[in-house]
Amino acid sequence: MTHLENATAGAPKAPAPRPAATRRARRRRRDAVMFIGPAFLIYAAFVIVPLGMSVYYSLLRWDGIGPISGATFYGLKNYIEVLTDDDLLQIIGNAFQLAAWFTIPPVVLGLAVASAIRSQMAGRFGTATRTILFLPQVIPLVAAGIAWSWMYDRNGVVNQFLSLIGLESWTRGWLGDFTYALPAVGIIGAWVLLGLCTMLLVTGIARIDGSLYEAAKLDGARPRHEFRFVTLPGLKNEIGICVTVTIIQALSSFDIVYVATAGGPGIETTVPGLEIYRLAFAHRQVGLASALAIVLMILVLACVLPIQWALRERKQ
Amino acid sequence: MTTTKLIAGFALGTSVLATAAAAQECGSDPVTLNAYFETGFPLPTELATEFTNQFPNVTFDIREDQFANLMENTPRLLSQENAPDLVRLPSISDLVTNGLLMNLDGYYEDFGWDSFPEGNLVQLRIDESGRPRGVGSLYAMGLNYSTTGIFYNKDLAEQIGMTETPTTLAELDDALAAAEEAGILPIIQWNKDTAGLAFPLQNLMGVYGDPEPINAWIFQQEGATIDTPENLEAAQHLNGWIEAGYFPEDANAVDYFTMMSRFTGGEGLFMFNGDWESANLQNAMGDSVGFFLMPPNPESGRHATMSSPLTFGIGANAENPDCAAFFLDWVATNETAREINVAVGGSNPGGPADMEIPPQEEGSLIAQTLAAGQVIGADNGAMDFIANATGAIFAAGWTPELQKMVGGVQDPEGLLDDVQEEYEDQLSR
Amino acid sequence: MTFPRIRTSPLFARGLIILLMVVTLLPFLSMLSAALAPSGTYPSGLEWPADPQWGNFAKAWQVANMDELLLSSILIVLGTVPAAVLFATMAGFGLAKLTTPRSAWFYLVFVIGLTLPFEAVITPLYFEIREIGLLNTRGAIILPLIGLYMPFSVFWMRAHFMSIPNDLSEASQLDGARRWQEFWMVQVPLARPAIMSLGILLFLWTWNQFLLPVVLVQEPNRRTMAGALGAFQGQWGTDIPLLCAGSLIILAPTVILFLIFQRQFVAALLQGAVKG
Repeated sequence: MTHLENATAGAPKAPAPRPAATRRARRRRRDAVMFIGPAFLIYAAFVIVPLGMSVYYSLLRWDGIGPISGATFYGLKNYIEVLTDDDLLQIIGNAFQLAAWFTIPPVVLGLAVASAIRSQMAGRFGTATRTILFLPQVIPLVAAGIAWSWMYDRNGVVNQFLSLIGLESWTRGWLGDFTYALPAVGIIGAWVLLGLCTMLLVTGIARIDGSLYEAAKLDGARPRHEFRFVTLPGLKNEIGICVTVTIIQALSSFDIVYVATAGGPGIETTVPGLEIYRLAFAHRQVGLASALAIVLMILVLACVLPIQWALRERKQ
Repeated sequence: MTTTKLIAGFALGTSVLATAAAAQECGSDPVTLNAYFETGFPLPTELATEFTNQFPNVTFDIREDQFANLMENTPRLLSQENAPDLVRLPSISDLVTNGLLMNLDGYYEDFGWDSFPEGNLVQLRIDESGRPRGVGSLYAMGLNYSTTGIFYNKDLAEQIGMTETPTTLAELDDALAAAEEAGILPIIQWNKDTAGLAFPLQNLMGVYGDPEPINAWIFQQEGATIDTPENLEAAQHLNGWIEAGYFPEDANAVDYFTMMSRFTGGEGLFMFNGDWESANLQNAMGDSVGFFLMPPNPESGRHATMSSPLTFGIGANAENPDCAAFFLDWVATNETAREINVAVGGSNPGGPADMEIPPQEEGSLIAQTLAAGQVIGADNGAMDFIANATGAIFAAGWTPELQKMVGGVQDPEGLLDDVQEEYEDQLSR
Repeated sequence: MTFPRIRTSPLFARGLIILLMVVTLLPFLSMLSAALAPSGTYPSGLEWPADPQWGNFAKAWQVANMDELLLSSILIVLGTVPAAVLFATMAGFGLAKLTTPRSAWFYLVFVIGLTLPFEAVITPLYFEIREIGLLNTRGAIILPLIGLYMPFSVFWMRAHFMSIPNDLSEASQLDGARRWQEFWMVQVPLARPAIMSLGILLFLWTWNQFLLPVVLVQEPNRRTMAGALGAFQGQWGTDIPLLCAGSLIILAPTVILFLIFQRQFVAALLQGAVKG
């Protein structure tokens, strides 16, 4: 179910190598190379090599325009800057705040829907629900960003709605507001991920053995106990998946931020992905950009791996 | 090619001959100029269309981007193989350091640009090492030479009893307060994507101090700083305006084009902007829009404002540099081009000092802004934009810090400190 | 708010779901209403315009060269998805059936890339592509994408082949040409559902890819639809009705395909999340 647990389970057990079998084993190895080779080569060329270069660049001071031979070796200073510069730290912090916004609303709303219907959505209504809730998943994130920029505009739907219900004093330019810009961007991500999380959780809850609920009821469990002791444990796996997906999306949310706010106001909504792009191509600090890229990669792993481990342990 | 240039140089005496000979810079074979322009400003595209009319073998492949993207993309685009022949360059210094721009000294000779007022070209000169600016070789040309100031809505001005344009900062302050009191938005200014508050800030700097130290900073002269007592007063004054609510509450969510449509829609008494909008505003608002320069420094009596070329350069790796340079010369010297330039662009078209600016209707907005340009010239008060000091100072310095000041999380001292720090950091790279 | 009500009230459930659907649809509707306002004006919120300007769509289509964009996106998808699916299917099979536990680390090398944000490699990719001379070509999007898709795709296909019992193929008994034949005649047909889902996911990701085109391809007509939308916003973003019309056109193809193949898309996206 999760990627890491299978990793070491490996391939079918090969028979212990007997002299007669070695030829076959060698041949099989050759075939394995033939089958895996193309995928590995292109993966190596466009992922592993660039990753290696990223590490190399991160140790340099290079403007990316002159020849790289003219770059100066800079040691770990780029990393020190990433981890001490106030602005860069704020940008990393922004990513985590966004992660919370991308994660919590979809999971909470998804749980609410799932526990409210507690069955597969069937029939026409079910199909309509699925179709509509999945729409944000199939459109480009850029389009989502443009649509929501317009929603948040001074003349947009959000302010229109607030005025309609008499909250005129709450209207504002949402994406330019120091307090609300980041949450506003977060809600765009939540909107995109809401359907996916809801459907995952609805599918998951339908799989929970109904007798567990019966048993709970017989034991006199109140509904909130039921939720806590049956629904939540039963959905742990799905919740873990939701959180993994939303965190990965949040920490690499270049598209939405690029079109919706370009990182402003100030650097309130700047995320590492956008800053890497800016540093490398506009400010010509390829070394610093690369160091930030490596840190970003490690951060994603640091968030996702514990969740995966937790899921894996529970299963064993 | 040398022959062509010789002929072009030789024929300079009479402009008709010069045009005919120089036309050969684009040859007679089909040429496609790869161009990268700024979104929302029709002038370059209209000039390109007219150029194609006159020289049908030349067509333009134009890509446009908004200002912030333009600044972000230019270094990358210029370093690639298919570098633009013609590119709108808000800031040139880093690009020269990296050898991305064509040195135009050869064309300066060939086309006789020494007949242009040197004051127009000085901002486009830069030392080979990338700093300071203002001396050395020519690396870009202006499509025109703009003047900035304050546009005002005459209908709203009437409502607050402002019959004459302010001539001192105190009078301007009074007008702002009166507008605020009357429930009129005193200043509509954009501050999203890029910081439009840099305009009033720099104008205030010009009231509290002289333009020279500011230009020194913009030109990256040794030891220059923006963090001076005069500029601090200017920043404090600006902050006073922010705190008094003179700017829109959602200024950080107002981008340039929203500001324009709000001002033409009748919102806002004042707008700090440049004469590139004169034609546009005149069309949209007719007689109800006027223009004045920021009041002068009370001690010296000098007017000072941002006045800079609409900078265009030629990529060092461009495929058709000769034709692109000829286009730039044509823009400044061809009568039709100059007429389009003023009618659409609204600014001084530059060109040879003895060429007249195409005449404008008396009292029209364009005539007013062109006249203001003369005042600035006479007072020697032209400043480049503080946003153009380095390639990234706008994006990484002024914009975030001014947005913070509007958001109430930055004070005037911090603003100047942080920008200066960013500036030094960028120069040390 | 108490839980019994929630659970026993299908009305509440329905209400909640309908609310979520409305919230999901609202941005689309607000874009549509803005797209129908006269081009160049500053529309106001959600309101059906008195005189809907359907011509904005034609204008957006024309100024953005939509036919060229569509063609470009299709070419990029055709260059990326079949190759990625083929390589991944082969590698998934190889890793599931042909390797010994000793070479399991090899699989780990692929898996490590699963969480890699594209932003983390975009800088070196730019210089690499520049070195190869592919900047500003569709190849600059296609080749890196195939590589970047490998972790997920290989993981996905391997998981499928792991679920196929071994005795079915006796893979270890075959060699060379016969193994190749068996792969194509037996394994690939059996894997069709997994391959279909993978194809759908990769299609969506390719079509919607934004970062690579923005950095590696300047010419909008050689970008993906999503990347071209970035350029479109740069050039026409000052005209909100036109921007909204263009955005709606650009997001239409995937939405239409999704509506037709709704079941397959939903299944693929759900499984994609579970496995990813």
